Amino acid sequence: MNCRETQERLLESFEGAVSPLEKSQLERHISECPECAQFAVLQSQLDLRLQEGIAAPQLNSGFRAGLQARIARQPREPWPDWLPDLAYLAGSGVAIGACALLLSFPVPVVLGTGVVVAFLAYSLQTILVSALEQKTD
Amino acid sequence: MTDEDIQSLLRKRRWAAAFELLLDRHQKKVFRLVYSILKEAAKAEEVTQDIFLKMWQVLPDYDGRASLSTWLYTITRNTSLSALRAESYRKTLPIEDFEPAAANWETGMQQLEINQLLQRLPEAQQRVITLFYLQERSVEDVAHMLDLPEGTVKSHLHRARRALADMVRS
Repeated sequence: MNCRETQERLLESFEGAVSPLEKSQLERHISECPECAQFAVLQSQLDLRLQEGIAAPQLNSGFRAGLQARIARQPREPWPDWLPDLAYLAGSGVAIGACALLLSFPVPVVLGTGVVVAFLAYSLQTILVSALEQKTD
Repeated sequence: MTDEDIQSLLRKRRWAAAFELLLDRHQKKVFRLVYSILKEAAKAEEVTQDIFLKMWQVLPDYDGRASLSTWLYTITRNTSLSALRAESYRKTLPIEDFEPAAANWETGMQQLEINQLLQRLPEAQQRVITLFYLQERSVEDVAHMLDLPEGTVKSHLHRARRALADMVRS
């Protein structure tokens, strides 16, 4: 291991990426090379300083409360979580009821009614989605 | 608690519950990432609030294509950089104002103000080395948060360490 490689491995050691074998090679080279020994001392001191100097700042204890207050001031309020589930459930109930009512009618009436209902349902859904999007923008 | 738990709540459209979990899991890391860019705790906290407010607003639009943390860190970086550009409050220490450390290494290390030294590094190296120590020496975390390959993070770290050592010696 030459000086360049030694110094690179030494820098990698601060990232915890040096194997025990490499560590022993490093130590052997450093014990025989004053320049790399000086480099190792300086980098170790620097690492310690960086560790002490770059302290993780803490979030203020009022961070969440402040955030919630800002969210509460937002004009847009999300729809209740349960609203889509309720809408699907109600829609399914109406569809089942309509199917039951139509069973006693002749086939052409059932098909014609089905087409009309499908068209109305699609139109209503489009209008509702459009209205919701305008409200949430 | 994982990002998958949050995504599961999002699929059920339980925005408020998902948002709470998102905060629990990511607020500290987001704050540290913002701090590594802005370098001022009070301002970083304000911008962190801006980021989570934005997240709250766009949470229903999350489509699951990118991982949740990748999406969040992208918003964090963009918002922090916009804040940095908008306010230009970060002061660069002019070279003539810098007091070189003493020639003696040990004394020099004691005297040096590490933050002054860091300010003399290129911006990318400053961010990487700051976040590396804030994130408890995790190259993987730093790479993910800054959207850089791990090799690039290591390269920035090594260059920064060499440059800092040169500053101390000079």
